[in-house]
Order: sequence, then C-alpha cells, then structure tokens
Amino acid sequence: MTQETLRRTIPQTQKMFDDYGVLNGDNDIIHYDDQFAKDRGFRGTLGHGLMYTGYVCDLAAKRYGTDWHYRGRLTVKYVRGVCPGDDLEVRIEGDGTVACQSQFDTTLVGSAKLA
Amino acid sequence: MTRPSDIKPREGDQPAALYKDWVVGAKFPPLPFTITPDVVDEYISVVDADRANYVIDGRQAAPPNVVLVYMMAVMYRLYPPQQGGIMIGNTIEFHNPIWADEETEVIGSGQVTEKFEKKGRKYICYDVEFKRPDGTLLVSCNHTSAFPE
Repeated sequence: MTQETLRRTIPQTQKMFDDYGVLNGDNDIIHYDDQFAKDRGFRGTLGHGLMYTGYVCDLAAKRYGTDWHYRGRLTVKYVRGVCPGDDLEVRIEGDGTVACQSQFDTTLVGSAKLA
Repeated sequence: MTRPSDIKPREGDQPAALYKDWVVGAKFPPLPFTITPDVVDEYISVVDADRANYVIDGRQAAPPNVVLVYMMAVMYRLYPPQQGGIMIGNTIEFHNPIWADEETEVIGSGQVTEKFEKKGRKYICYDVEFKRPDGTLLVSCNHTSAFPE
C-alpha cells in the first residue's frame, strides 16, 4: 500500500453542481441560485458536500483497495463553501488525513482510514 | 431502479420541518430502494470517480458511497426539507461492497441523535444505516447539517 500523498485537482463548474443535483434530487436553491447564495454571505452557489465526499472516497478507494469496501471509515467536516470557478485540490496524506482546498481556502478536512 | 429523485421530497415542495419540530430519538421510517447499474454509472460520472479504484477480485464494484445520494431522502421523509440547509460533516463507515453489475436492494433507516444551537445556527445530527433486506450492513453514517430556521 502506497504511503505517498495522493492528490488531484478538479475544476468546479455550475454544470457539475446541476448534474449531481439531478441524480440526488436536491432542490436546495443554495446550489443553483447565485443571488440567494450571495445574500447568505457566500461567494456564489455552493457545491454539494457529498459530491466532494465522493472525490475524497475515490482517493481513499485507490489507497486502500478492497479493504475500503469492508472497513473504510471516513470522517469529514465541510469548513468552507466551494463555488463555480474554484480549482479544487483533493488529497489524502500517507497517514489518512484528507483535505480539499481551493485557490481561496481549505474547504474540507478529515480522515480516511481503515477501522 | 430507484432514482433518489423518485423518493426524496424536494425542497420547497411542501412545508418544511423547522428546528423546533425535530425530536432527538425519533426514528425515520424504513426506506426501501434499488440501486441499479445505471445509477452506479451516473454516480461514477457525477463524482468523477475512476472505476479502476473499485475492482474486487476481478469484479467491478460500485463506489460504496453511491448510497449517499439516498441518505437525505431517509431523513427528509420524516422531516421535509427547508431551503438553505448547509452540510456540516459526516462520519461514514463501509461494511460490505455494492456491486456495479447487479441490482442491489437496500433499506435505509435511521434516527435523530442530537440537536443544538451554536452561534445563531441550528444544528441537526442523525444516523442512517443502509442494509440489504437480509440484514447485511452495507454503509452506516452519522450526519450533521445546519438549517436557517
């Protein structure tokens, strides 16, 4: 099992938010209404937290392989919003620490380990 | 085939549950649904996943987190959603694979575990478990969201 940091950068678009929302049925306008999101103090519409969770899980699955399906344990906190135009770097460190970071801020912190 | 949108109450479609309505210990009614290969394919697309990361002994598994697109539906059926909810955190444990090449019948259930107010925000915490009809545990989650009202 590799212990090097795994990372990838995924540029964020409104279409990605929309497509995720089509699948999960999320109609919360904070994901789709730019003015509503800005009125609440955000830079723009917010991406779906569970979409970023999916990004993190993908790196964890790459790291842990079959074990991830039987005893994977992920803990994440969403600390800042992600908006269209953000370049989101997703990474997992050798010790299982995970994070998402845009050009503006750290957006997600946590850990992905085996129980 | 069950798309999450088929079973998830949509924000704004009905009067929303408010913070005062949530009861710690309240159980969510069991929610049966079926994950199909089509849903797995769409999920892989929207989370930009790499299929090669989910091969077990030569068989293509789904990202086990595919069930997360159903998670809020389990809760929302008891507490209809309000606009402006913000996801705060999740702890998720994976217990058994979900295969990409077959239909998977799942039953989601759960309960409210905590509610609290902090710095003017209203927080709700709840557990959700996803099991096969035979009781095999697939995924368990503890979730926290904040709502405006």
